[in-house]
Amino acid sequence: MQYVLLGTLWGVCYVLALGYHLLLWNTGEPAGLLVEGVYHVVVLTGYAAFWFLLSLLFRHRRSEPGRIFWTTLLLGGLYVLLGYLVTRIPPVGIVGFSMENALPLAPSVPFKVGLLALLKTTFAFILLLRFRELVLVKRTRSSQRNWNLMIGFMVLAALSGFMRSPREEVLLLQGLAIIPAVVFMVVNSFRLSWIVTLSFRAKMATSGMAFLLLILLIGLAGIDGSTEDGFELVPGAVRSMLYYSYPLAIFTGLAVYFGILYCTTAFLSLLFHLPTTSDFQRKAGEMATMHSLSHLVSQVFDSEKLFTTIAASPIDACSAQASWLALPDLEHGTLEPRIVAAHGMTPERIERLVDVQALFDEVRGSRAPLVLHQALADHRVDARAGDGLGSLLVVPLLARDQVLGALFATKEVTHGFEQDDVEAISVFAAQAALALDNARLFEEQLEKERLARELAIARAVQRKLLPQRLPVLPGMTLAASSVSALEVGGDYYDFARLDDHRLAVIVADVSGKGTSAAFYMAEMQGIFQSVSRLAPSPCDFLHHANVALASSLEKNVFISVVYGVLDLHTEEFVLARAGHCPAAVISLNGSARYLRSRGLGLGLDRGPLFRKMLAEERIRLQPGDVFVLYTDGIVESRNAAGEEYGYDRLLRVLAEHRHEDATDLHAALLDDLNTFLGEKEYDDDMTLVVLKWHGIRLDQPGPVTGERRAGRPAVEQPAAGEVSTG
Amino acid sequence: MSNFSVGFRTNGSIQVLDLKGELDAHTASELEAAIQKCRRENRCKIVVNGENLKYISSAGLGVFMAYIEELREQGGDIKIAALQPKVYNVFDLLGFPMLFDIVQTEEEAVARFQQNGEQPDEPA
Repeated sequence: MQYVLLGTLWGVCYVLALGYHLLLWNTGEPAGLLVEGVYHVVVLTGYAAFWFLLSLLFRHRRSEPGRIFWTTLLLGGLYVLLGYLVTRIPPVGIVGFSMENALPLAPSVPFKVGLLALLKTTFAFILLLRFRELVLVKRTRSSQRNWNLMIGFMVLAALSGFMRSPREEVLLLQGLAIIPAVVFMVVNSFRLSWIVTLSFRAKMATSGMAFLLLILLIGLAGIDGSTEDGFELVPGAVRSMLYYSYPLAIFTGLAVYFGILYCTTAFLSLLFHLPTTSDFQRKAGEMATMHSLSHLVSQVFDSEKLFTTIAASPIDACSAQASWLALPDLEHGTLEPRIVAAHGMTPERIERLVDVQALFDEVRGSRAPLVLHQALADHRVDARAGDGLGSLLVVPLLARDQVLGALFATKEVTHGFEQDDVEAISVFAAQAALALDNARLFEEQLEKERLARELAIARAVQRKLLPQRLPVLPGMTLAASSVSALEVGGDYYDFARLDDHRLAVIVADVSGKGTSAAFYMAEMQGIFQSVSRLAPSPCDFLHHANVALASSLEKNVFISVVYGVLDLHTEEFVLARAGHCPAAVISLNGSARYLRSRGLGLGLDRGPLFRKMLAEERIRLQPGDVFVLYTDGIVESRNAAGEEYGYDRLLRVLAEHRHEDATDLHAALLDDLNTFLGEKEYDDDMTLVVLKWHGIRLDQPGPVTGERRAGRPAVEQPAAGEVSTG
Repeated sequence: MSNFSVGFRTNGSIQVLDLKGELDAHTASELEAAIQKCRRENRCKIVVNGENLKYISSAGLGVFMAYIEELREQGGDIKIAALQPKVYNVFDLLGFPMLFDIVQTEEEAVARFQQNGEQPDEPA
């Protein structure tokens, strides 16, 4: 819409100007002062519209310096060519106006001059608009202001020539009006910071183009072009412009002179910078690396400080006014970004003005920096002109192919972030991402170590729940061991001396593995140590245990138990089995069998069915009898080939070694198990308890009441304890 | 990594779960999810076909215990069929046959459902 409006305005003015000149030629009389004034106003209005039209067109055209130079050079060449062609329109050579009365010399003159003025103004305007990009690289408030002042003073200088005739002498005031414009032209000519970041080749090429453009512009300016015998690339263009519109001629002239100034400084600067290019680039790289490394590496141990340093970096690196770091809020399990550190603006204010989430999502998707040159125009920014959010840069922090967060930077001016700013911050962002990643890994490692320590403590506690020493009974040898697949497990074995002639033994296996099983194992230990003394029989014990556990066991957890009471008095071993692997009994004569009495696992039924199902097995002790209690980890152990150790092999090995005492038998069985397993790790908890009755009766000499400690069985012989794994 | 899978099938109005592989502490959650899915879809009559079940650990058995009560309250049940001998032994040791219908074939299990929600075998 704007384009159409401005275009139409310009078109109308252009045609009106043409009409005015044709009218002059037709009448052969100079126009009145009023008519002439109106004419000039119309021309200037038209070209003002034209300026804004071009500004709109070139608003988003941003490119590297080399491109700006060669496109301008090309445009200049095009102008020279077209301008020359226009002057060839017959009558050849006559492009101007009468020196006496400023009337066109021929009917074609108005067309020619109109075209020449259009061509030259187009070139001059585009030259200014393109060079603006160069001048405003690394823009600050003052550079933007200097540019605007230069254009303003150029316009003022141009307007000072309003209604002046080219035949009059230049007034002092008019000369003075040009001075401030020239001053700012010089100031802006030294805005050359785009040069330092160019590569050597780019500098070479750009300096060549700057030189050519310089020659072209000097040719266009027309040394002494206002006189008849001056040299000019487009003959008569400067002079005829003066007649067409004096202010426009001054403005375009100043634009060309600015072009000459800027090309001169750029050309020289490029030349001088050539030898130092590689040094500069290396230095810059080193500095960036040193800076980021020295700051970031040391802060891996302190996240808060690390966040602050990262968030501050855009302020140092490219003079951003505000910057902040947003990370997905992993602690709360969401991917919603949270501002963890901010500079130049409070997080609350940022949240209010900027849709951090939406911008973060975009860079998370694109994994590339995002620049909002005109942040206020973006729907994700809800700020006004005074809020200091002219332009906004978002750089994702990428590490190990993951977007860890995003770094945001803002500047007060629009178009504040140049390509090299973006690159500098991107380089830093890569470092920052690494540091963040390291910090995170470090924390994870710390957490892991903490967990490992806690598990080690849990393991130590659990080992304490197992008997530290085995009871000593006359006529019996005992051996026991338990090993967990994980740090803690759900296997349990224990002994309790019920009175001076009875010993209770338990082997239990909590379903599942690990920590949860370990808790139930501890509960089982408590129940065993307290209930076993009160329960008259194994069935009673298991019944009480089942009742005690009913309230605390999860639905999907159960405990299988084999519980036996050895009575030296009656020389009986009474066993009950609650869903557990059947105990093995081996006689001296080699007969071996499993004691598979009925019984549900603890926790499987919390009603009367459990008790109803229980059955006791009563065995008369014969000298040489071996009883082996174990957990399914033993029989279900599988070797690398996937074969199970199995019940048959267990019974066979026990039978083979039945003559040995409990300790040796225990060791022999574990040896055999290890041989069977080979190098394979245990994948279940394994417990093995061996009791051997050697046949010495209680009433025979040397009875047994060893000392008791804190309700624990009499002790002497160390428990076999853990077996080594592997 | 997981060498356990649950196949869904229907046999008339009965939901059949085909278990395959090894059901242990790591894979128990898969069976759990399968049973939960059945429950959400209100298919409370479940036959677990264990023909291809090679191994079951106590954690695997726990899954059956976790849901049986609820399913029975909703008029359903889990019946277990076609277990391999070694796997059956694990069920048997713990006394599962007292709590669940464990039968030789899937057809038998389905038939038990059709005998109008007959309760599990009373212990001998």
